[in-house]
Amino acid sequence: MKKITLQYFAVLREQSGCSEERLETDAATPAELYEEVRTRHGFTLPLSMLRVAVNEEFRDWASPLESSDRVVFIPPVAGG
Amino acid sequence: MQPFAFSTLPIDTARGREALADPACGGYATFEGWVRDHNEGRAVQRLEYEAYAALAEREGERIVAEAVAKYGVQHAACIHRIGDLELGEMAVWVGVSSRHRAEAFAACRYIIDEVKHRVPIWKKEHYVDGDSGWVNCERCAQPGDHESHADHAATPAPARLHGQDHAHAHAQSHAAPDYSRQIALPEVGAAGQRRLRAGSVLVIGAGGLGVPVLQYLAAAGVGRIGIVDADSVDASNLHRQPLYGVADIGKAKATVAAARLRALNPEATFAVHAERAGAGNLVDWLARYDLVVDCSDNFATKFTVNDAAVILGKPAVFASVYQYEGQLQVYLPRADWPCLRCLWPEAPRDGLVGNCAQAGVLGPVPATLGALQAMQALKLLLELPVESAPALHVFDLLGMHWRTLKAARNPACDHSPRELQTDAIDPAALELEFPTLAAARASGLTLIDIREPWERAMDDPAGRIEWHLPLSAFLQGSTALPREGRYLIACAHGVRSLALAGRLRALGFTSVYSLAGGLAAVDA
Repeated sequence: MKKITLQYFAVLREQSGCSEERLETDAATPAELYEEVRTRHGFTLPLSMLRVAVNEEFRDWASPLESSDRVVFIPPVAGG
Repeated sequence: MQPFAFSTLPIDTARGREALADPACGGYATFEGWVRDHNEGRAVQRLEYEAYAALAEREGERIVAEAVAKYGVQHAACIHRIGDLELGEMAVWVGVSSRHRAEAFAACRYIIDEVKHRVPIWKKEHYVDGDSGWVNCERCAQPGDHESHADHAATPAPARLHGQDHAHAHAQSHAAPDYSRQIALPEVGAAGQRRLRAGSVLVIGAGGLGVPVLQYLAAAGVGRIGIVDADSVDASNLHRQPLYGVADIGKAKATVAAARLRALNPEATFAVHAERAGAGNLVDWLARYDLVVDCSDNFATKFTVNDAAVILGKPAVFASVYQYEGQLQVYLPRADWPCLRCLWPEAPRDGLVGNCAQAGVLGPVPATLGALQAMQALKLLLELPVESAPALHVFDLLGMHWRTLKAARNPACDHSPRELQTDAIDPAALELEFPTLAAARASGLTLIDIREPWERAMDDPAGRIEWHLPLSAFLQGSTALPREGRYLIACAHGVRSLALAGRLRALGFTSVYSLAGGLAAVDA
């Protein structure tokens, strides 16, 4: 099990009700991790509309996750 | 002789006269400023002058050169004392020689006015009662100034270096803000200030982000600013757009903003574009500016701004806010720098990301992001490094986190100029109003509720509309809706349904409509 710190922004924060959580997961990639939390929190946005950053760097959804990674899911926002 | 110099010794006017003498000149005008025995009603005993010499000399030389060029005089010079001066001593001397007297007088007047206005010199007044205080002399009446300033534009309230309580009362109006406090920064300096004045910025949107951007750019002395906003001031804007007041409600934002900014800085030029930025006008507009700051509130405009910047090879400063959060990204026209589409290959459709309800926002959130945009724009104009590496900066002002997420060029994004997105289908053609759901059904349209299951469970447990296809299912591509049907889609307030209707039309659904105002607007 990997220990991951997850941070949520914008509508993901609203839908999950938290801006950060620590979890243990078997997810091998950010894509698998998103699928896991999407089901749990009832996220409405598909992965294709989001970007993921791991350890402060944008990553591919299929890149490998390591234990103690810091993952941020970011939806685009447009308010001005 | 140097055109502008500081002197710690008494000014030798005879030498000055000699240096400016020229057989071609028929006139010689001078001005002398003396230390007088009172200021602001207080008896003055002596004065001390201090200057930021390197900066002050450069600015002084520029003023003399300007006077020579402007009035076509032969020779001009100015000497300013620094150090301790007694009453009656000469603090400043200006000399001008020219073919005719009129130009000599005018140039002499120009030099002394501009020196007072622009050159960073401070004076410490020692009063007869034993007290003393520093006074910023720029644009502040100096001892020996026996002229009235009423006939020229200069003189704001002086910046006090040390808090003395006798305020100067300056009622005169000014031609421009005093930039000395930013010129004093080594990264700005007089050369930087010239860059700002020669610079031009197009600002898209004069709302929560745009207001601070416009204010700080105008205040900093950016020479030309374009303001693009099609909206009018609404009462609900004021809490986060304090450039406007209640008396402006209903007026065009771009026009009101330009008037306010002209009052802030009459020296700058403002172009008003009170229309929506789009594929049809943006490239033409942006071609006339150095860079663009995107303060719009919708994805369609942001991506159009991105495309225009990429096509023209101009920098763009983007920001967006959502409740307590903000995102900031700078695009630079460099091969290694990501654009907005590198980050978001699938340009989001407005209304499909987020909630139906109008997102709430506290004023300082867009104000913070707007101030950061202004900072990045000024750095671009000053030719300072904008950031060490391309990044999306994500701010959470509730939790007070700032994350800098490194972004790279997306190899799948070719960055080559591409067709700008055409404007979406006119929303008016997509929306239908019905007083009741029964009336909607009677129209022959098939009703679809696209709210999420949790919303429906909370607001409408009975399920007024039988067919329930949540928007999230649409977005995940897991619905198969026959294209030939005639649909009326409904959500809580009509925002998401309108966006989805636009998307479905683009996908070939010819008879899909959105319930105007959503289910909140119809009676059961």
